[in-house]
Amino acid sequence: MDNHSGMSPFEAAFHASAERHERFWIFGVLVMLVLLTIGTMFYVVHDYGLVTGTRSYATDPQAPAREAPFQDGKVVRTGPNAYAVYMVGRAWHWAPDVIHVPQGAEITFYVTSADVLHGFEIQGTPVNLTAVPGVVGTVKYTFRHAGLFRIICNEYCGMFHHAMVARIIVDPAGTP
Amino acid sequence: MSIEIAADTLPSDLPLSATDRAAAGMRRLMLAFLVTGFSALLVGATIGPLQALNYDGVNAYPALRPILQSYYQGLTIHGVMNGYVFTFFVTCGLLVYLPAREMGVAPNMAMWRACFAVMAAGALCVLYAMGDNSSSVLWTFYPPLKGSPFFYIGITLLALGSTMPLPILLEMRAAWRRHRPGEITPLVTYMSLTTMLMWGLAGVGVVAELVLQLDPWSLGLIGTVDPIINRTLFWLTGHPIVYFWLMPAYVSWYGLLSRQVGGKLISDPMARITFALLMIFSLPVGTHHQFSDPGFSSIWRGILVVLTMSVATPSLVTAFTIGLSLEYAGRLRGGKGWFGWFAALPWADPSVTAQLLAAITFILGGATGIVNGSWQLNAIVHNTTFIPGHFHVTVGSVTAMTFMAISFWMVPHLTGRRLVSRRLALFSAWTWFIGMTLFAIGMTWAGLYGVPRRAWVSALPHDTYHALYGMASVPLALVAAGGVLLWVASYAFFAVFFGTILFGRRTAPPPIPFARSFGGPASYSIDSPPNPARAASPLIRALDHVWLLTGITALATIAAYIPILWPFLHHVTRAPGWILW
Repeated sequence: MDNHSGMSPFEAAFHASAERHERFWIFGVLVMLVLLTIGTMFYVVHDYGLVTGTRSYATDPQAPAREAPFQDGKVVRTGPNAYAVYMVGRAWHWAPDVIHVPQGAEITFYVTSADVLHGFEIQGTPVNLTAVPGVVGTVKYTFRHAGLFRIICNEYCGMFHHAMVARIIVDPAGTP
Repeated sequence: MSIEIAADTLPSDLPLSATDRAAAGMRRLMLAFLVTGFSALLVGATIGPLQALNYDGVNAYPALRPILQSYYQGLTIHGVMNGYVFTFFVTCGLLVYLPAREMGVAPNMAMWRACFAVMAAGALCVLYAMGDNSSSVLWTFYPPLKGSPFFYIGITLLALGSTMPLPILLEMRAAWRRHRPGEITPLVTYMSLTTMLMWGLAGVGVVAELVLQLDPWSLGLIGTVDPIINRTLFWLTGHPIVYFWLMPAYVSWYGLLSRQVGGKLISDPMARITFALLMIFSLPVGTHHQFSDPGFSSIWRGILVVLTMSVATPSLVTAFTIGLSLEYAGRLRGGKGWFGWFAALPWADPSVTAQLLAAITFILGGATGIVNGSWQLNAIVHNTTFIPGHFHVTVGSVTAMTFMAISFWMVPHLTGRRLVSRRLALFSAWTWFIGMTLFAIGMTWAGLYGVPRRAWVSALPHDTYHALYGMASVPLALVAAGGVLLWVASYAFFAVFFGTILFGRRTAPPPIPFARSFGGPASYSIDSPPNPARAASPLIRALDHVWLLTGITALATIAAYIPILWPFLHHVTRAPGWILW
C-alpha cells in the first residue's frame, strides 16, 4: 500500500479549508495574546504602586524582624498623606495584629518573616506579598473605603496557618 | 491495514530482538506503570474530597485521627500522590510504550525497569515520610519548613527516575533512523521525545534544589538553606511540570484520538510545531509563580508576562487542530450543521467521551491560566483558592481524565480482558467532568473573595469561619458538591479499572489506535514501506533537529534565570529549618 495514497474528494476539500482557516486562527490567537499582554502591562504601569518591591536582604533570617520599626509595630507617618506599616509574620500571628490607617492615604507596607514563608494578603484588595525570612518586601496601597480589612496568611506555614489572621481598620477620612 | 504492527513481525536483524516474549514483557511492564500510577491516584483521590468539604466548613479530620493527623498531612499526601506519583508513573510508561509500538522497535527493557524501580523506591520513601506525619510540607515543600530526609530523598528519586525514559527514547529513535535514513521522526515518538527533553531540562531546577540543599540539609550535613533561592529553583521545574502533565495528554489527543473517533489528524505539522513551542516556552517562565515575591526586578516581571502569554499559543493551536480533526470525523459520521458533527462523535465509547470532556474543561483551565499570568490580576488571585481551582481543570481534568481514557482501551489491550462495564466507565467520565467543573467554578469564584488556598478553614471557630469566608458560602458549597461527586466518580472509575484487570472477560486484545494524519503514512513502523521526507516542509525537517530545540530552550532558560537569581545569590539568607505541624 502506498503510504501517500490519494485523498478522497471530501478529505482533500476539508484539508484545503483547514489550512486556510488555520492561518486565520493563528493570526487571531496572536492578536488576542498581544492585546491581553498590552492590557495587563498597561494596568500594571497605570497602577504601578502595587508592584512588589524589595527594601533589603539580610544573611540572618531574623535580622529584619529585630529592627526597631518592626519591633515597635507602630504606623509611621512619612508624609502629608503617607504612612509606613512594618509587619512581621511569625507562626502563627502577624505583629502588629491590629492597626489603624486613614482612608485615602498612601500606605507602604514593609513585610518580613521571622521563621518560615508567610503570605501577606489583605482580603478584598490586590495586596499580596510573600513574607520571606531575611528579606523585607514592600507594597504600596491606598484604601479608598473605610472599614475592617483582614490580613490572611496565604502561604502554608504549619499547623495553625489557617488561624494566622490580623486586622486593618481603615478610619474614615477626616477623623483625627 | 498495518496500523497495528505486532512485535513478532519485526525482521530478525533488529538491534533489539523483538520476540513474542519480549512483547509480552513490554505489556507487563506497561501494565505495572499503569497500575502503580492509578494506585497512587486512588490514595490521592480518596483524600481530595475531604479538602473540598473542609472549604465548606466540614471538618472530617478529628474522626480520622489514627490515619491522618491533620488537613495538612492529608493535603501533602494528596498533592504528592496525584501530582508526582500518579502522573510520573503513567507518563513514564506511556511515553516509552507508545513510541516503541509506533516505531516497531523494542525499548531497552533493563533501563525501563530501572526507571520503574527508582521511582517505586522514591514513592515508598515519600509515602513513609508522609504517612508518619514527619513531612507535612505540602507538595511544594518550601524551605525553611523542614521534612524528614525520606521525603526529600524520595522526591529526588522520583524526579531522577522520571527522566529515565529520555535515553530509552533516544536509543529507540536512533535504531529506527538507522533503518530508515532521511525520514522524519514518527509523530507520537516526536511528541514523546520533545516532552522528555523538556522535562529533562526542567528537572535541573528541582534536582539542584534537592541534591545541593534539601537532601544534605535534612540529613544534617548543612545547617541552613536560602528560602528564596530554593523557591526559585522549585518553580524552575514547577512550571514546566505543568507541561509534563499536559503534553502526555496531548500525545493522546494528537496521536490517538482522531482515530478513536473514526477520522484523521488534520495536521501533522501543527502537532510538531505545538510540541516544539511547548518545549521552548515552558522553561523560562517559571518565575511567574513568584510575582508576589520580593527580590527580582519589575522589568523581569514584565518580560515574564510576555513569555507567559506566549505559552498560551501552542494550547490555542491545539484547540484548533484537535477541534477540526474532531469535526472531520463527525462529518464523516454524518453530523450536519454547526454542532451536529460534535453530537455525531462516538459518545458511547468511554475513552472518547472522557477525552472530549477533558478537552471541554480545558477551556476554563486555559482561561484561568491566562488570568494567573497577568501580573496585576495575579495579585488578586495569588495563593487564593483560585489557583487550585485553575489547576484542577488542567492536571485534574485534562491529564487525569485523558489517562483514564487511555486506560479504557489500554487495559484491554495489555491484558486481553474486556472492560467490565462500559456504562460504569461512561458514568465515571461524566461524573468526574461534572464534579471537577463544579469544584473548579467554586474554587475560582471563592478565590475572588480572598479565600486562601490550602488552609484548614473548617478547624476555625464557627464564628470566625463565617466572619472571614461567609460571603463566599455559595461558591464554597459548590466546592463541596464537586468534591463529593469526584468521590463517586473516582470509585466508579477504579471499579472499572481494577475490575477489568482482575475479572474482565477474555477477548482479543484491541490494537493501539494510532491516528493517521492528512497526507501522512498509514504506519511509521520500522518494517513499513519507506516514507521519504520529501513530503515534509523545511520547517518540519528543521524541527526534527531536537537537539537544536533543546539548545535554544536551554539558552533561553539560562538567559531568563541569571538576572532573577543574581540578586539572590548575592544576598544569601542562612535560614535554619522549622517543623511546625
